[in-house]
Amino acid sequence: MERSFDSWEQEVIRCIRCGACQNVCPVFKELQAESTVARGRVKLIRGVIDKDLELTEGFINKMSLCLMCKACVVNCPSGVKVDKLVEAARKEIAEKKGLSPLKNLIFRLVLKNRWVFNTGMKAGSVLQGLVFRKGPLGQGMLPRMSLGIDKRRLLSPLAAKSFKAMYPVVIKVPAAKLRVAFFTGCMINYIYTDTGRAVINVLKRIGVEVVIPALQNCCGTPVRINGDYETAKAMARANIDAFLKEEVDAVVVACGTCGLSLKEEYAELLEDDPVYAEKAKHLGSMIKDFAELVVSLDGFEDKMGPLPLKVTYHDPCHLVRGLRVKEQPRQIIRSIPGVDFKEMSKPDTCCGSAGSFSLYHYELSTKINDHKVEDVNQTGAEVLVTGCSACRMHIADGLNRQGVSVKVMHTAQLLEMAYEAKAH
Amino acid sequence: MKPEIIQKLREIVGNDNLYTSLEDLYCYTYDASFVKADLKKDLAGVAVYPANTEEVAQILKLANQERIPVVPRGAGSNVSGGSISVGDCIVLVLKRMNKILELDRKNLIAVVEPGVITSQLQSEAEQVGLFYPPDPASQAFSTMGGNVAECAGGPRGVKYGVTRDYVIGLEVVLPSGEVMNTGGRALKNVTGYDMTKLFTGSEGTLCVITKIIVKLIPLPEAKSTMMAVFPEIDQACETVSEIIAMGLVPCSLELLDNIYIRNIEEYAKVGLPTEAGAVLLIEVDGDAEILTKQIGKIEQICRRLGAVQIRVAKTKDEADELWRARRSAFAAVSRVKPTIIGEDATVPRSSIPAAVRRIQEIAAKYNLIIAILGHAGDGNLHATILTDETDLEEAARVEKAIDEIFIATVELGGSLSGEHGIGRAKSKYITLQIGEVGLEVQHQIKKALDPNNILNPGVMFGA
Repeated sequence: MERSFDSWEQEVIRCIRCGACQNVCPVFKELQAESTVARGRVKLIRGVIDKDLELTEGFINKMSLCLMCKACVVNCPSGVKVDKLVEAARKEIAEKKGLSPLKNLIFRLVLKNRWVFNTGMKAGSVLQGLVFRKGPLGQGMLPRMSLGIDKRRLLSPLAAKSFKAMYPVVIKVPAAKLRVAFFTGCMINYIYTDTGRAVINVLKRIGVEVVIPALQNCCGTPVRINGDYETAKAMARANIDAFLKEEVDAVVVACGTCGLSLKEEYAELLEDDPVYAEKAKHLGSMIKDFAELVVSLDGFEDKMGPLPLKVTYHDPCHLVRGLRVKEQPRQIIRSIPGVDFKEMSKPDTCCGSAGSFSLYHYELSTKINDHKVEDVNQTGAEVLVTGCSACRMHIADGLNRQGVSVKVMHTAQLLEMAYEAKAH
Repeated sequence: MKPEIIQKLREIVGNDNLYTSLEDLYCYTYDASFVKADLKKDLAGVAVYPANTEEVAQILKLANQERIPVVPRGAGSNVSGGSISVGDCIVLVLKRMNKILELDRKNLIAVVEPGVITSQLQSEAEQVGLFYPPDPASQAFSTMGGNVAECAGGPRGVKYGVTRDYVIGLEVVLPSGEVMNTGGRALKNVTGYDMTKLFTGSEGTLCVITKIIVKLIPLPEAKSTMMAVFPEIDQACETVSEIIAMGLVPCSLELLDNIYIRNIEEYAKVGLPTEAGAVLLIEVDGDAEILTKQIGKIEQICRRLGAVQIRVAKTKDEADELWRARRSAFAAVSRVKPTIIGEDATVPRSSIPAAVRRIQEIAAKYNLIIAILGHAGDGNLHATILTDETDLEEAARVEKAIDEIFIATVELGGSLSGEHGIGRAKSKYITLQIGEVGLEVQHQIKKALDPNNILNPGVMFGA
């Protein structure tokens, strides 16, 4: 999108400063300063456009204090696209002020180049045992020593073998009723291979042939929302090429953020690209979230065994407000015999992860997470199901910090368990 | 602001509750009104978030000694410019004082701190079968302190009155730093002047409210909702007058004009005929047994006066569907133009048809889009000007139109503001309504309580 920063004035003036965003902004709930709510961010952006303010450290910091959770956007009476405005401001910052050296290294060298990323992750999976120890319940790992992150921070280990290395490119099923390509995303590929395995097993069971294109890379969202559009565009084009090459009925994604990026944001990012604008739209039309795909297929409920579990569900921001997938995962959970589904209070409030936000603002992101843990705890559930790996890691960390023993898993994993329960 | 003042304030509220950066202070130059602070002279020196009455008292004492202006602020949802920074001031935000201290079922009262969110008090009261009726559109995020300072209203005003009708006692801090209690828990109370009523609606110019005692009423048992569509807006206005004259008191009586109807239909597809002149959304509440009878009578009046379509909700879902039209009104018109200015001139109920005509004439004269969405039951017409603030030529016409709307309102025996307050937005018009003598008396009251004019200077009486 080659749109100038100043051209966003038409969007900022639509904010009538009513203050309704105060009711839903998770960051404002913790910090309470007017500059930390959507209305304040929009006003600050307007200040820069009007030349009242400059791209100071203070401004950059305020722009970093947004989860991009879209809660304000859906709650806004005039529908101001606050997330797009914050992203435009971050782009302006990246262009005028440059990225920090660390972000530059990660975005431009690692995430953009599949083999560098892959090699680094492989080395990491071997060496991580030196600095991390196992977490409680065999879930995750805790730092053995201070790494500049809180020692209580529960991280999930890198998988010994990446997901893509575990499977062939095509997973055939007899008499397939559908052929889909699977966009794995980074976390499933390098950390939560168990989610990836569940996606494959479930789709196989329903009679769907799965292709895992080898040349796919990171969706580019972490890069784009931090303002590095050039790198994000290069990554988008590479993914578009990798997926449009496949002859498939749909592209399935098991992460709301990756899904939204492929479905809508590539088309926005590349709208002025003479070659890729149309291709991006075409790919966008093929994207299906895992839960959305599963409930659209006949007979997915037929082959389940009972799971005597009390389950609750957390709506990932980009899945519920981005892809508008809300009922489908609940339909899957409710269809499993024996499952006692308990809705938590405000299931669609952000868990505080917001990807790299939780690294820059760890204290704040844990405070936001504490409310989520409290809401999970109130339900008395034994299993928390969600549709995004970043939420899964962050909520598992929160549960661990507060000593709450709840298993966290992706919707696909619960469904896989139900199918396995039938088999045994 | 002098560093030693900021240091003293830091000692009072603690470092985490004080803001001095340009980016932070910039965010107190606005509220929900269209008034803009002049950045060169009106950027605050500091914003502080005190935790209790004692801290508020220390801050005001210091400000008074040093002659520093203080702008009290809650959620900043003020719609008359009463909570924006002025001069090198202290912005005093009361959001940390956010506890409901008591819900007293024996006396039917609640005691709250000023930072409590209005809807939070309402939902907690409802859980014990009680009701706090004032329902400003901002209730989901506005604070009780702000509601009292502005005397907020809302759709339910027609039956239940406004904030003033529920406040029976206050704890306030005067500009001197002294703490004063007014009213109390007793429903009957005529000891001395009624300071509670004076401070309610004083817009932060006389004191800072630190505790509020409100009376509650039993929660009505049930509600019934209907919608009536009229070919002409005059018929709807006449219907409103007739409903009131018949002694029927709905708890909401909302009027939407053709501009709203067309845009709502385009935006939300609720099934409104786009050629209709006006829609009335009517809700009655109370004892379940009498509601059907009441709605029946209202239905008859609507038909007699020309309603072409009437829908009575049979279930809660159907009622929600009817309210959806009203709730989507704002979003619907905000698509038409980027800037929405909501006025709240209010007239005696019998003057509603005349007021609507005058507003339409003014819109035609200045070639502007002015839509009407009113709490028609209490004469509170919200003329909504749809404009684009970046179009300076149009902005000049908007200003003239607003002037004329106010003059017309006063001529019709109405009020410059029904529930938004005078603030900085309407201070230049105040004599139009209260007269020279009235203004002088109000000045004297202000001087007696705030001799150094530190509290919200410029609000109500202008600079």
